[in-house]
Amino acid sequence: MLRTVQLILPALIPSWNFFDVIAPSPRIEYALLSASDEPPTDWQPFRPRPEKISVLTMVRRLFWNRHWNESLFLVSCAERLSQGITPEHSAGEIFARMKRDLSGAAGATHFCFRLVFIHREGETLTHEIICVSEAEPLT
Amino acid sequence: MTLDLAMRWTEVLLGLALFLPSLEHVWAGGKERLLFSARAVLCVALVSGFYAPWVCLAMSGLAILILHRFEGPYNGGSDKMGLLILFCLTLAHFLPEPRWKELAFGYLGLQLTLSYFISGWVKIRNPDWRTGRALRDVFAFSAYPVAENLRALANQKALLLAGSWLVMICELLFPLSLASQWTLIPFLILAASFHLSNAIFFGLNRFVLAWIAAYPSILWLQDRFIGG
Repeated sequence: MLRTVQLILPALIPSWNFFDVIAPSPRIEYALLSASDEPPTDWQPFRPRPEKISVLTMVRRLFWNRHWNESLFLVSCAERLSQGITPEHSAGEIFARMKRDLSGAAGATHFCFRLVFIHREGETLTHEIICVSEAEPLT
Repeated sequence: MTLDLAMRWTEVLLGLALFLPSLEHVWAGGKERLLFSARAVLCVALVSGFYAPWVCLAMSGLAILILHRFEGPYNGGSDKMGLLILFCLTLAHFLPEPRWKELAFGYLGLQLTLSYFISGWVKIRNPDWRTGRALRDVFAFSAYPVAENLRALANQKALLLAGSWLVMICELLFPLSLASQWTLIPFLILAASFHLSNAIFFGLNRFVLAWIAAYPSILWLQDRFIGG
């Protein structure tokens, strides 16, 4: 019951402080592994955004934007994970979607992810690795 | 605009706002498929006006289950607005006294006004927003731009400085637009255009209809207490 109240209250009394500060921004990267104890080396961005998108795609995404909305949810999960808010749930959500996208990767039996937070220091963009997950089986 | 008409418009717009996102979840599969299948059916019922009070109640119950499923809102602000509309509508349907119904629905209009005003207030207090730095950071490194080539906009300092002030001034002036329908309606069109641009640049498509669904409440509130 208490948890339900905690979940509902931010909707009933919202803060509406959108973009008040531009916080460090998470990126999720993954590494495919051929064994659970193999150290990850070849990190790849998970769901990198395209170089550009067509006007037609932009219009379609006004109505149907499943993949992007899911990616935004993963950004929320990454933020929660970095702040220690429901970490098991957040990691589970990231693992589940990665597993779905990466299943069938040749030569790999496991994978892991890491969170890289980008922020600005002066005029330079800085990348900081916040956490690296345990290896997870692909199937 | 009467309270009943405003509530009906809100139900139709909310049903439309939640229908396609529900189908997106059903399409994606996963454990939440059942929850969102039920929500899609209820959205159709809400738009058709079929037992609207009970549909709102059922959708509110479902919304709580969905909150538990994701340990919070799935898509941040847009989900919060959807929940707020749903809870206000449900209360307005079931509260016994006409005055209480007005209070519940008016609360939605008040929160809509605050959603713009507070967003503007927290921005203008931040020096990074006043110099255009914050909006440049949004394009430079935030997770929101939908394509890499949009990041080049971070170098358009003058454009983003002007954009920052335009957003802040419009958000802060929103409460003044309640002075008359003739000022409110253009402001709502401007605000809807702002949400549309966020959908185009940042892929925040769920915000567009979620916010528009709350517009009948502010039109009713303005007519009920100020008029003109």
